[in-house]
Amino acid sequence: MTDHLLLTALVVLAIVSVMAADLILSVLGLAAASAVLSIVIFRMGAPMAAVFELSVCAGLISALFVSVTGLIQPSRRQDVREHLRKKLARFWLLPLFAAGTGVIVFLISAYLPSYLPAGAPAEDVRAVLWEHRRLDMVGQVIILLAGVFGITVILKEKAE
Amino acid sequence: MNPEAAKLFPAVVAAAAALAVSGLYCLLATRNLLRALIGFEILVKGVTLFLVLAGYASGRSGLGQALVITLIVVEVAVIAVAVCIVLALHRHHRSIDTRTVENLKG
Amino acid sequence: MNGYILLPLAAALVVNLPVPGVRRAAWHTALIAACVQGIVAAAMLADRMRGVVLRGFPDGLSSVMLLTAGLVFVAGLLTARACVSESNRQSLLGSLALLGLAGINGIVLATDLFTMYVYLEAAAVVFFVFIAFDRDSGGLEASFKYLLLSGVATVFLLTGIGILLLATGSTSFDGVSAAVSAGGRDRNIVLLAAACIVCGLLVKAGLMPFHGWLPDAYSAAPSWASVLLAGIVTKTAGIYTLVRVSVAIFGAEKMAAEVFLVVGIVSVVAAAVAALGQRNLKRMLAYSSISQVGYIVLGLAAGTPLGIAGAIVHIFNHAVFKSLLFVNAAALEHQAGTCDIPSLAGRGRQMPVTGATSVLAVLSAAGIPPLGGFWSKLLIVMALWSAGWHALAVVAVGASVLTLGYLLVFNRQVFFAVPKEPPPAMAETGADILVPALILAAVVVGVGLVFPLLPESFLLTLTEHAP
Repeated sequence: MTDHLLLTALVVLAIVSVMAADLILSVLGLAAASAVLSIVIFRMGAPMAAVFELSVCAGLISALFVSVTGLIQPSRRQDVREHLRKKLARFWLLPLFAAGTGVIVFLISAYLPSYLPAGAPAEDVRAVLWEHRRLDMVGQVIILLAGVFGITVILKEKAE
Repeated sequence: MNPEAAKLFPAVVAAAAALAVSGLYCLLATRNLLRALIGFEILVKGVTLFLVLAGYASGRSGLGQALVITLIVVEVAVIAVAVCIVLALHRHHRSIDTRTVENLKG
Repeated sequence: MNGYILLPLAAALVVNLPVPGVRRAAWHTALIAACVQGIVAAAMLADRMRGVVLRGFPDGLSSVMLLTAGLVFVAGLLTARACVSESNRQSLLGSLALLGLAGINGIVLATDLFTMYVYLEAAAVVFFVFIAFDRDSGGLEASFKYLLLSGVATVFLLTGIGILLLATGSTSFDGVSAAVSAGGRDRNIVLLAAACIVCGLLVKAGLMPFHGWLPDAYSAAPSWASVLLAGIVTKTAGIYTLVRVSVAIFGAEKMAAEVFLVVGIVSVVAAAVAALGQRNLKRMLAYSSISQVGYIVLGLAAGTPLGIAGAIVHIFNHAVFKSLLFVNAAALEHQAGTCDIPSLAGRGRQMPVTGATSVLAVLSAAGIPPLGGFWSKLLIVMALWSAGWHALAVVAVGASVLTLGYLLVFNRQVFFAVPKEPPPAMAETGADILVPALILAAVVVGVGLVFPLLPESFLLTLTEHAP
């Protein structure tokens, strides 16, 4: 029961994030959704992943978005509000659509568990990551380095 | 599939699908570059949830977690670069509205 | 084998140590790495030709991809040196190029679906940055568009991986293929996973109708980045992955073949038609790339070893002639400051070397003997014909004529036409851009001449897959 409540809260927060008129509210909605997601992940037997989701997504990424939103002042605030007000008229579309998809997928996937194979013995995450998936770890290093260099390339002003 | 997972399975898949749809909608329907990124983030959350479920239901929680952790790290790099691109565009145009920014033809 | 990934990464780290002066070696290190990779891969392929196949080394397809990557990176890096003048940015470029090379190698050497995803994203991030490298508005926007579309494609790919994990409990090629062929699974689930993965990868390959990001990215990116993008990235990220996934996991599915045939033929024809009307040189080359990648997919879809071999050789040939064309575009842009074909009319007459290499590339692209492109297109058309797809084979040949058409028009207008008013004086480009052009032109001619001499067994070893 708790799980169903959490899942509903997750979807509602995501929809709120999408529909919020103010950008900051949108980002906060995203952060809250990440937090709820991390609880859901924890309850599904993935504690390490939950910690990563909480610290990285709910923490780092949301902080990043909030700071960028702060840096980018909407120059024509009136204009932005006007536009969003026009969109609000269509906004009831999204919750309906999301709920509809959810219901359809729910009904389809109710049949699936019988088709899928039985579970296998689980291994510890640490063993999996460090022993079996070494290449993935190297890949992570590559992508993080690429990100750092990339940020330098894109943002660094020429030293005149 | 273990019985606890089987009970949760349809609900979680439905939630993941709803998240994906919301994220995709946000991505497609917005004119604000940052919102597009938020939509993308929500979409990725949907997939993350689905991957965790896959790990949980098939019993391979170790593998599932490893995948999710790697996924989160990889997507952080992507989002970081994306945000920098948005910042750089803002420097150029003083706006992040796609009507001002987008002049590339199809 | 992992050296291909670890060495460039180590080089990237070493080159960025806080030791004074070491930074400046970044570009050179990247160039050396690409050269070494090309040479080693060529040596491995030569071994294959003599019948020596080493265990544990990448198989035929991967070796060809490694060789292509090395060659294209050499061309791209040399061109980049001319375009990026500031020393700091050059060293950043070198470091990123090393990481990009490691990423591409990782895609090609991965034996696990998820590992492939990780390296796909790694290479993608490097190229988001490359497309936006000059920080101009066009490049930034194109990069953002590519980022979003590539991201959605990634989500599809991950969904497919998740479904496979659910259904088979594994993400490695061996694990999944074993479980799939063991049977007893609900066919529909595997098909759903396949559909998700294929959709995602088609976007990455830039095939129609999923090509939305490609023309903008190729034309707005700095020319040297387009050299790399067109030459290796789109092909690795899209085509190579499609081949690996289809063959290693799902076996040759009849339905998949039909999907690829449709996508392939639509891309070949529609993109060729779109290329006809383009004013911007790089945009025209972008549509041309989509068309050529369509050929590769057609070869794969034919299903016969002949078709697959033709497709693999075309991957290499297209990398070579397309990179050469983009290097020429870089030369024109560098000297004339524009990529608009009508404005360039006649100005190319002052650039004889660029003109000559351009003619070679055009002829290879259109499939004129005895250049490289002729052989691979011949193999593909023959494979289509013998597999029974007569109509498609005819259409493919027809599109080849179209290709000749638009490329020759560009060539004639820029390099050989006599303009009404004398154009501003223009010199031939410096060695930095000429050298890669000459290298690539040599390869174009070389492959064309050498190809009929290759033993048939060599082609067949290309289509075998690693045990």
